[in-house]
Amino acid sequence: MISAYILISIRPGNSDKAIKEMRKIKNIAKISVVAGDYDIVVRVQVKSLENLLKVTDKIHMVDGIKKTTTQVIEKEIAL
Amino acid sequence: MKIRRKYLFYALALTSSIIASLVVGIDTIIRVKFIQNPYAFGIACFLVGTFITLLIALFLSIPIKGKSIGGKIIDPSFNRLRLFRKEELKYHLFAGFGNSLLTLGYFLLLSILEDPSVVLPFSQIVIIYLLFIESIVEKNVPTIVEVQSAVIVTFGAILGSISLGGSISITALAIVFLLYIPAWTIFSIYQRKLKLLKIDKKPNDSINIRFWNVVFACVFTLIMITIFDFITNSNNIIAGINASFDHFWWVSLTMAITFFAFVFYIRALGIGKASITQAVRSSIIIFIIPVTIILASLGIIPLFSVDPVWLLIKIIGIILIILGIISFALTLVKAYIFIKIKPGHPVEETMRKLWNISGVNRVAAVAGDYDFIIKIRTRTLVKGYEKIIRKIESIEGIKEYKWQSVLKEWEDI
Repeated sequence: MISAYILISIRPGNSDKAIKEMRKIKNIAKISVVAGDYDIVVRVQVKSLENLLKVTDKIHMVDGIKKTTTQVIEKEIAL
Repeated sequence: MKIRRKYLFYALALTSSIIASLVVGIDTIIRVKFIQNPYAFGIACFLVGTFITLLIALFLSIPIKGKSIGGKIIDPSFNRLRLFRKEELKYHLFAGFGNSLLTLGYFLLLSILEDPSVVLPFSQIVIIYLLFIESIVEKNVPTIVEVQSAVIVTFGAILGSISLGGSISITALAIVFLLYIPAWTIFSIYQRKLKLLKIDKKPNDSINIRFWNVVFACVFTLIMITIFDFITNSNNIIAGINASFDHFWWVSLTMAITFFAFVFYIRALGIGKASITQAVRSSIIIFIIPVTIILASLGIIPLFSVDPVWLLIKIIGIILIILGIISFALTLVKAYIFIKIKPGHPVEETMRKLWNISGVNRVAAVAGDYDFIIKIRTRTLVKGYEKIIRKIESIEGIKEYKWQSVLKEWEDI
């Protein structure tokens, strides 16, 4: 299992629609709308790196997405 | 489907308390009409309960199109009934012990106090115990807002209980504080630990937890009552076994409904802290009122007072409970912090330092623009600065950090 964070910047005025589209994408485990340098942080859970590419592709297809940065998780501690 | 985690949490906890209030109603009927001996009732509950829970769990394990019924409608993590794992054993022992003490305490209370709506509110004081325990074990010191809301809910619960009929006896209070509440604390803390365990790298499911909890609690209850019988020279065990056969359908009804109340409760525990789950669940005080009215009008319990002063106190209690729950719900602040470190600092060590900061509930070492992404949960932004930012700044080797407040969140649960 590979988990990654994808940090997304969107073009102003598109957030509601973009989130709606992204909620339909299957491998996305969490969508957080944030205030700061980015607009949306998405957590993705996939079986392989190839599938990660597919998910990033799908996110790129969503209307209003300006830029994405993928951060693959190497190690994690969580409650 | 991705929904907001908050909604799911409150839906689960509230459903659990609605179902639980039904259970209390049925229990009262059984106790008044059929099984007067509280120990016998406790034994019957667990004997019949083990059997009924097994049947329900087996039914929920039936696969339909590759996914079990239970996985579809009750808990997505559920696949099928399985044996408990070695790593679960320790927690099950505690949770089962807690449950069996709790149940005995509960039936003792029911036998002392006629009216169920008097028993429940006092048991809500458990929230304060939970806050205290959590601050020790979960590196999760409660914030002033949490303490405040918990106190509001607890006092609301006590006020809400004052009026209806029955009086409070010292014995009952002693049972509540020394037996019922500590038992419930153990029970919920360990059930939460079980829910947070990963089984085969997947989240643990509430249905298996509930089933094994009943099994363990059954064993503990039998042992404790046997010892009790031996000391006091009574034969509650026999009475319990007889009661399980004589009133099988009533007891199985209450245990079947209890099953669902707890499955939802355990799922909620997997999402929120035990104290907060408990606080939401104390809404049972409100849901129990119609049940009490029905029971009283059927003549099963004495009719309660309609003195306006009592009613006023009760309404104030209910308002306090609702306010407390809402303030829990509205005061959670979440954020991501993206961190870059200077070269030459060991990743593992920095990771551990970050993890030790209270309020950090996830640390991920990532490959990409940043070195770490951490997830923060705190009750206030001030605390976010004082307890988190200052600590991060004090960690050697951190070059840059970016705080990103979460405004809204959806999650696949």
